Amino acid sequence: MQPLKRVVVVGNGIAGLTTSDSLRAAGFDGELTIVGDENHAPYSRPALSKAALLDGGEMTSHHLPPSGHGAQEILGVSASRLDVARKAVILDDGTDVPYDAVVIATGSRARRLGNADLDGPEVEQLTLRNLEDALTLRKRLISKPSVVVLGGGALGMEIASGCLSAGCEVTLVSRDRPLVQQLGPYLSDVFVASAHRDGLKVASSRAVGLRDAGGHRQVLLADGSVIEAELVISAVGDVPNLEWLSTSGLLSNGRLEVDTRGRLRPDVVAAGDVAAFPTRHGIRRVPLWTSAIEQSKVGALALVQGDDAPELDFQPYFWTEQFGLNLKASGFLPLAGPPGFVEGNPHDGPALMRWSHEDGSGTAVAINYRIPIPKLRRLSNTAPAAAPPLTNR
Amino acid sequence: MKIVLDRPRCEGHGLCEEAAPQLMHLDDDGELVLDVEAVDNGDLEAAKAAVRVCPVAALRVA
Ligand SMILES: Cc1cc2nc3c(=O)[nH]c(=O)nc-3n(C[C@H](O)[C@H](O)[C@H](O)COP(=O)(O)OP(=O)(O)OC[C@H]3O[C@@H](n4cnc5c(N)ncnc54)[C@H](O)[C@@H]3O)c2cc1C
Ligand code: SF4
Repeated sequence: MQPLKRVVVVGNGIAGLTTSDSLRAAGFDGELTIVGDENHAPYSRPALSKAALLDGGEMTSHHLPPSGHGAQEILGVSASRLDVARKAVILDDGTDVPYDAVVIATGSRARRLGNADLDGPEVEQLTLRNLEDALTLRKRLISKPSVVVLGGGALGMEIASGCLSAGCEVTLVSRDRPLVQQLGPYLSDVFVASAHRDGLKVASSRAVGLRDAGGHRQVLLADGSVIEAELVISAVGDVPNLEWLSTSGLLSNGRLEVDTRGRLRPDVVAAGDVAAFPTRHGIRRVPLWTSAIEQSKVGALALVQGDDAPELDFQPYFWTEQFGLNLKASGFLPLAGPPGFVEGNPHDGPALMRWSHEDGSGTAVAINYRIPIPKLRRLSNTAPAAAPPLTNR
Repeated sequence: MKIVLDRPRCEGHGLCEEAAPQLMHLDDDGELVLDVEAVDNGDLEAAKAAVRVCPVAALRVA
């Protein structure tokens, strides 16, 4: 491989940050440039829907420590095109940024629900993806509006939980039972029971559109009913930020599919929410915090070491906090059937559970149960028969 | 360089332990224990990796 002199990282989220740090850790001492359209230093997105919604006066729980990679930062500017033949990133303002290697770390954005009335005025719907969104939401919750949250995934449930804690009346609209797609029926039941106890109302239908009815916001549901709300917040999934790559020739099936070392070509890697990568369950996007970090480490090493770099064997780690429950899961989700290994009972206290999968792997889940992640990972990886007794309690 | 833990912020995810098991661990109560506080050059990268992975920024290298 040619020695790397100039690396350009596009996207200044946790993936961009971790790739930059990891490049330095791997010995890259050339010129490093980060292009990002957000005007601040990277921060913790997971915190936005948890502590940050509830923080007292000042909001700091999303702050990350300052970086030490010494990159030149071009912030508040988007990349609009990637020219792999000329090896250049073209920015919105027309600037060309040449590279020897480029890192694609542009993440994803919130999906939104369309208006029911296409000609009508656009109906306001908040989303929660970036810092500005979180600040807006916090400000709006002060007057305790009635809230409708669209989407029964982890994010929708976390937002609903935060809005309830802020003293709002909250209805969650979810076609399926909340969290069932993400966690499976058993854990979904645990969370829904807790949410009901906290006063969450659940509308079991699909939201089909929003309408403005003389200044009132209305959510139209597939079952024909209509819910009015002072505030509508949608959490209906995310869309990878790929548009700027549409002429790059790097997309296949509309996706950015990288190899086991995060590469699209020897001089182009991608990491984080934007990338689909090989997992034990096929080539998938896994838009999670630890996924972004692990992909970034692998991608950075691949740029420096090529085929000598280790391959990524991703073991998902997921956590969520809502309605008084704190869940940590190691392994693939969702989970079918009841847990096969139980300590405690999640319906009335701390619990540690394990599910086995057909391929011999497993998923370990802790609820309101402090356990180090390495231990949780070991538990997920051991066959139940061979599982050592747990000494955590 | 020193690793500094902001204890009230720590949520016990233990991702830091996974990144730097030689420097820190969660004890049986799930409380983070810094086994090494003063890090030398050999451990600095691991310490930084631990700091970076914490989603609530409870760790710092100062
Ligand atoms: C509210 C919320 C809560 C979450 N909670 C959890 C959780 O509890 N657990 C968990 O594991 N994960 C959680 N996640 C997911 C996790 O935050 C993401 O997986 C992770 O942040 C992805 O990092 P990234 O760097 O790939 O993308 P991002 O953080 O999206 O960063 C990409 C950056 O690139 C910028 N960008 C985009 N296009 C361009 C362009 N053309 N030019 C320049 N810059 C561009 C974006 O603006 C952004 O700053 C949550 C996400 C959200 C939004
Ligand atoms: S990763 Fe952060 S929150 Fe988790 S144990 Fe370590 S310091 Fe605490």
